[in-house]
Amino acid sequence: MSHEHDHTHPHEHPATAPVMPEDAGSQALAEALRSSFVIVKVAMVLMVVAFFGTCFFTVGPSEKAVILRFGKPVGGGQKVLLNSGWHWSYPYPIDEVVRIPITEIQKVTSTTGWYATTPEQELSGEELPAGPSLNPAVDGYAITADRNIVHTRATLNYHIDEPIKYIFDFVSASNSIQNALDNALLFTAAQFTVDDILTRDVAGFQDAVRQRVSDLVEQDQLGVVIDSCQVQSIAPRQLKDVFAQVTIARQNQGKQINNANTYKDTKLLAAAGQASAITNEAAAASANYVKYVKADAGAFNDLLPKFESNPNLFVQQRLVEAMSLALTNVQDKIFFSTRADGKPRELRLMLNREPPAQKTAPANP
Amino acid sequence: MKRNTLIVLIGAVLVIITALLLFVFQVRKSEEAVVTTFGRPTRLITEPGAYLKWPKPIQNVYKYDQRIQNFEDKFSENYTLDSITLMTSVYVGWQISDASVFLATFPGESAVSLPNAQSKLEGVLRSAKSAVIARHPLSDFVNANMQDLKFGAIESEIEQSVQSQLSTNNYGIRIEFLGFKKIGLPENVTQAVFDRMRADRQRLISLAENEGRKQAQIIESSADSEAVRTIANAQAVATGIRAEGEAEAAKTLSTFQQNPDLAIFLLRINAWEQSLNQRSTLIFDERYPPFDLFRNLPTNSPGRQP
Repeated sequence: MSHEHDHTHPHEHPATAPVMPEDAGSQALAEALRSSFVIVKVAMVLMVVAFFGTCFFTVGPSEKAVILRFGKPVGGGQKVLLNSGWHWSYPYPIDEVVRIPITEIQKVTSTTGWYATTPEQELSGEELPAGPSLNPAVDGYAITADRNIVHTRATLNYHIDEPIKYIFDFVSASNSIQNALDNALLFTAAQFTVDDILTRDVAGFQDAVRQRVSDLVEQDQLGVVIDSCQVQSIAPRQLKDVFAQVTIARQNQGKQINNANTYKDTKLLAAAGQASAITNEAAAASANYVKYVKADAGAFNDLLPKFESNPNLFVQQRLVEAMSLALTNVQDKIFFSTRADGKPRELRLMLNREPPAQKTAPANP
Repeated sequence: MKRNTLIVLIGAVLVIITALLLFVFQVRKSEEAVVTTFGRPTRLITEPGAYLKWPKPIQNVYKYDQRIQNFEDKFSENYTLDSITLMTSVYVGWQISDASVFLATFPGESAVSLPNAQSKLEGVLRSAKSAVIARHPLSDFVNANMQDLKFGAIESEIEQSVQSQLSTNNYGIRIEFLGFKKIGLPENVTQAVFDRMRADRQRLISLAENEGRKQAQIIESSADSEAVRTIANAQAVATGIRAEGEAEAAKTLSTFQQNPDLAIFLLRINAWEQSLNQRSTLIFDERYPPFDLFRNLPTNSPGRQP
């Protein structure tokens, strides 16, 4: 026991070494240094955590991302593009994350052919009144195939089909697309007349603008796909009244033609009805005639034996029958007896006699 | 001991960062870099990645954006072949084709060299555009006939001319695409165009009115003649129907031929009955049966009095 005591004592000695006498200031300084060192350690740990935390990033559902490591894309082929979700990269300047909005619909608007205005002025209806001419510095327009002036603007919706090309081949692909849209409006207007653009072939003009901008986008390899293209065109505001009059005149022209067509329909229907009546009447008359003639023939066959048996009596009998029937139906019956001398009386009838003039005295009978 | 290790570690990190900043540079994708040694281009880097260099002032690194850049010139007046003043502005997609040559031609950092290059490009573009437009009449720019429209061909001519001048002068840049961005007329000409358009519209108004009247008259007269034709056709058909009826009736003629006297008598009787059917006035005397029964009857006539 004592042995153990002998051996343990020297070991315990440093722990229980006599404390050097320190003043209160030294103790406070030592304590402050220990506290500061703990704070520094905690701060360093936090910095390391923050450092690795910044290495994580998310790619949204409507975008893709490319990691550039020392400026060079990480991966090859389609693996270069990171899909939506969590990803990890080294911090800048080792890695750089380039985000590309791939499924989001992009939009550019061309106003190269539109007069000077702003959306706010348009909405509030407080546009500046049109002057007698167009100032080329501020007013845009397009020259048509028939050398007229028309205002036209377009909105193009597209989405990015080849993100690597879109981001890494062009400083501003959207500006290039807008330039292509401006060009498409001018090019298409140059081959359409003002009436085609404004009224006769509005859809054709819009399709041609879209076709031209699609061709340019493909030719310039901008890496996008056109989704839709809306074109709006109007006549110069300086000629608004006279263009409206043309529209009214054309409406009236259509109205005149419609009225004429209505007259035609009515006339032809009436003629068809009249024609039908004529043929029906003829058919009925013909059928009746045939029927009557056949009936007469039947009656003739019936009467023939009676007539042949005593022609004179038959004739007299029929005459008397006919006369009695006629006298029943006749409205006025006038009988003239024979004159005393046996000669027939003379009867003079004046038909449709003109009325006598008022000044002349009536003639004696 | 731990404290010393930490200090050494931090020191090492700082040394490494300083060394990286001094001796390493990055070339990003879409960039090219030219390394100059004491001001003389010694290395062209076209692939992205991390590269070593000597620190300044021994070596300098000039990085250039290799992507296609947009540029558009001023809206300026030019004369067409048929002496019409046409205002045009074109856009250009251009890029640095050779960074070493570009650096030699337009020295300095990108912020300085790019505006200088665009200024040079604008001058080249202006002269090329002016020369090409002067070779074409206005009908080549605007034409309803696609065969005669030279819009795209004019753009190609300007592009080729600019490309040729850039190559000849070895600016280290090239054109990728070019097109018209704006086409217009001088302000006073637009007023003349409006006057002509107004006259055109007046003509169209008159044309529409006259055309409407003309077409309406054509339709109405056509309807009238067609109606007359329809009725005439119907009358012809009716005549045919009646003729058929008469032909059918004529088949009974043999019946009446058995005794023509009776047939004629019956026809006359029928005609007589029908003629006195309604609203008739019959004047007769005693000579005709059955009124001959009145003959020789005493009357109030003086000559007949007994």
